[in-house]
Amino acid sequence: MKFSMLKIAAASLALSGMAVTTASADVLDTIKERGKLIVGVKADYKPYGYLDSSGAVIGIEPDLAKDVADRLGVEVEFVPVVSSNRMQFLEQGKIDLMIATMTDKPDRRKVVNIVDPNYYSSGTNILSLKSLGLKEWDDLSGKPVCGIQGAFYNKATSENYGAEIVAFKGTAEAYAALQAGNCAAFVYDDSAIVAKAAEAEWSDYEMPLQTIDDAPWGLAVQLGEDGFKELMSEMITEWHASGRILELETKWGVANTPFAQAMHDKYK
Amino acid sequence: MGAAYKTDLPVMMAPKAPEREPILPHLRAWHIVPLVALCLLASPLAFAAEHDIRQPSLSVLVTWAPLLMKGFIFNLVISVSAMAVGTFAGAILGLGQLSPSAPIRKVAWLITQFFRNAPWLVLLFFAMFLLPFQISFFGLSIPLPDWFKAIIGLSLPVMANVSEIVRGAVNSLPSGQWEAANSLAFSRRQTMWLIILPQCVKRMLPPWMNLYSILTMATVLASIVGVNEVMTLTGQALASEGGRPDLLAPFYGFVLLLFFIYCYPIARYTVRLEKKFAVIG
Repeated sequence: MKFSMLKIAAASLALSGMAVTTASADVLDTIKERGKLIVGVKADYKPYGYLDSSGAVIGIEPDLAKDVADRLGVEVEFVPVVSSNRMQFLEQGKIDLMIATMTDKPDRRKVVNIVDPNYYSSGTNILSLKSLGLKEWDDLSGKPVCGIQGAFYNKATSENYGAEIVAFKGTAEAYAALQAGNCAAFVYDDSAIVAKAAEAEWSDYEMPLQTIDDAPWGLAVQLGEDGFKELMSEMITEWHASGRILELETKWGVANTPFAQAMHDKYK
Repeated sequence: MGAAYKTDLPVMMAPKAPEREPILPHLRAWHIVPLVALCLLASPLAFAAEHDIRQPSLSVLVTWAPLLMKGFIFNLVISVSAMAVGTFAGAILGLGQLSPSAPIRKVAWLITQFFRNAPWLVLLFFAMFLLPFQISFFGLSIPLPDWFKAIIGLSLPVMANVSEIVRGAVNSLPSGQWEAANSLAFSRRQTMWLIILPQCVKRMLPPWMNLYSILTMATVLASIVGVNEVMTLTGQALASEGGRPDLLAPFYGFVLLLFFIYCYPIARYTVRLEKKFAVIG
C-alpha cells in the first residue's frame, strides 16, 4: 500500500513536468510478473543489431538478450534504440536492459548501471580514400569528417585532432557522403570499417590510422537495480567462459576479435 | 445578312457549360511511370553497374517494401488520430475564442496563438519528453507508448490551427445572419448552433483538409523522436543492407511516392471543394 502511494506520488511529480526517476522495487520481480524482458538494442548496426526484411530485430546483441530471457524463463521484447536515446529509455524504465553497442565511459556510469565485466570491445578508426594518404590522426585537422550522431568519438575527433565533424543519422547516409566526396574520412568503429574496406566497391578506400580509444562496451541496467546487475554480471562471465561471444561472432560473420578471445582465455 | 453572325468578342459568344472537373484532372495514369522512374532510378544510374555481385537495388527495395508500407500505415494511423484529437480540442478552443465572456476569449486566444506559432518539431519534443512513459492511477499503471505521445504532440498544432479555422469561418459570415437571427428571437446559443455553424462547415472543410494533408506529411517528424514509423524503418532497412549508398535514392524515393499517392488526391479534392463552395458563397 505504502509502495503504491509512493508510485502515485512519483507519477504525479513526473506529470507535473519534473524529471523523476521512479525508484521501483526489484526489476526482476516486475519482469517475471510481466512475463517479458524488454531489451533496448540497436536496429541499425549490422551485425550487432539490425532488421531482417520482416521487421524483426536480429544480430549478436539480440541473441545475447535472448539468452538472458531464457535464463529468467520469460519472453523477450526488443525496443530499437539509437545512441542519442538509449540511456534515457533505460532511465525512464522503458527498457529493463540495454545491450546497444555502448562504449563504457565513466560519465555514463553515473547515469546508468553498467555491468562488469565488459562483454565486448571496439576501437575508433577512419575510412578514407587511399589517394588522400592520411598517416596520422592530426592529418584530419581542419578537414570535414563524417560521423554518426550521438557517437562519443565525434567530440574527441574534433577536439583532439581538429576535424570538423559532419554527423549523420545512419551509416548509409554517411557512406554516401564519403563516396560523394563531402568528407575526407568517416570516423566509426574499427570492426565495421575493416569489413567495409574489404568490399570490392570500396577497394579505393582504406583504414589508414592506428586504432584509438580501444574501449570496452558495457551493457547496462537502471541505477539501483543491483540484483539484476549481479545476475547480468554472472551471465557475462558465463558468456566469456563458454565461448558464447566467439560463437556468435562466427555465426554473424565477424572475425573473432582479440578482446573476445582474451576474455574467453581469462574466464575459461 | 441571314448567315451566322460572326464575332470574336467574348461577350457575344454562346456561353460554354463549365466542365465538371474530375478528382485527378492533371494526373493521368501514365504519369506514374516518370514519377516512379524518377524516384527509383535516379541514383543507381550515378553508381554505374560495375559491381554486379550485389543484388540490384530495385529487388532489394521489393523485399523491404512490405515492411515500409506497414510503417507507412502507422504514419496514417498517427495522422488520423492526431487530426481527430486536434479537431475536437480545436473546435472547443475556436468556440472559446468567440465566447461573449472576455476571460474565456482571451485565454482561448492565448492558447491558440501559442501553439499556432510554435514549430511542430519542438511541440513534438515537448510532448515526448514531458509526458511520463506511464501513468499510475491508484496502483493501476497505464503505459504511454511513444506513438501515443507523438499523437498528442502533433495534435497540439492541429488544435491551434483548427481553432483559427473555426474562428475565421464564423467571422467570415455576413453579420446580417446574426442580426436576422436576433430579430427572430433566437438566443445566442441557438443562433450559433442552428444558423451560424451549419453554414460554416462547408467553409471550414477545405482548409481543414489542407491541414490534414500537411499533418500527414509532418508525421515523419516522429522518426526523430524514435517512433517506429516509415522513416525510422527506412533508415534501419538501409543499415541492415550494410549502408549501400546506391540504395538511398530508391528507398527514400519509395517513401516520397507513398506520401504523394496518399496526399495528392486529398489536395485535388480540396481544390474541387473550394471551387464548388466559392460559387454558392
